[in-house]
Amino acid sequence: MTSSAVDPAELERIRRRIFLALFIALAVALHTLEALLPSPAPWFRLGFANILTLTALFLYGGRAAWSVTLARIAVGSLFLGTLFSPGFLLSLSGGVAAVALMTGARALAGPRLGPVGVSVLGAAGHAAGQVLIAWLLLIRHDGIWTLFPFLLLFSLGTGIANGVAADLLLELLRAHPAFAGQGAPPPGEGAA
Amino acid sequence: MALKAIWRRLTPLDRLVVLILLLGVGAAFVLVGQRPRGAQVVVEQGGRVVFTAPLRDDRTVGLPGPHGETVVAIRHGRACIAAASCPNKVCMGMGEVSRRGELIACVPNALVLHIEGDAGDEAKDYDLLSR
Repeated sequence: MTSSAVDPAELERIRRRIFLALFIALAVALHTLEALLPSPAPWFRLGFANILTLTALFLYGGRAAWSVTLARIAVGSLFLGTLFSPGFLLSLSGGVAAVALMTGARALAGPRLGPVGVSVLGAAGHAAGQVLIAWLLLIRHDGIWTLFPFLLLFSLGTGIANGVAADLLLELLRAHPAFAGQGAPPPGEGAA
Repeated sequence: MALKAIWRRLTPLDRLVVLILLLGVGAAFVLVGQRPRGAQVVVEQGGRVVFTAPLRDDRTVGLPGPHGETVVAIRHGRACIAAASCPNKVCMGMGEVSRRGELIACVPNALVLHIEGDAGDEAKDYDLLSR
């Protein structure tokens, strides 16, 4: 009855799936909690959920990063009641732009680009994607671009903060045997 | 030092990316800052122009909306929403505008305030009203 002879590849696959589900759940929680924080103006979001996207990207690769972000936006918007609203559209466009940039940068630069660099690129992509879609679809007015430098500066700060948080989390996770052999750099070598 | 610990976490390419983006932010601020000052305030409600006024005269006006009154104030050549009846007051938090193309939106009251015209040629002020 006891299944001691489990195929290691199968075990790895299941483990990966479970951790990905946990990452998505955490990202949804952060996404929802963040909406409760007061914000100086619309679109100034801290983007904590991106920490989990970064973690998935560095541990499991680009496809995992896409699943975490898309699932997070869909489920998070469902919780917040903003599904298919203009805000959801902005969130989605920002998220897609961010993940596209992050996976692209990771694929191009490989281990030379750490979590902070990827995070900052993602945050800037999020800001740019959001303003672009807002300009194209919602407010067809050039005045919207006056907001952009502030948004970009803010995203740079949150990008660095989230990148450092993701780096710390990755360091913690890689030290655990469940994550042995995942991601590019070996344990204890977060920043090369 | 916390900052030093953060610095050590960055790979050289990370630092380059942050630097380039910082330069990009600087460039964006310069580009937006170059926008010329506008001459007049135009307030639209649901796509209809409900109020226009030149920026050089100080005045305050109350505009009715679905949620109640929105008070638009013009002071020292800048326009802002001084008081709003909407629940979250995002429009009041958007501050003052004075450059051409800048805008303040109050979504609950379906109000969009924007700056038009060129402060350079005063004579054209009234031509813009008929647009």
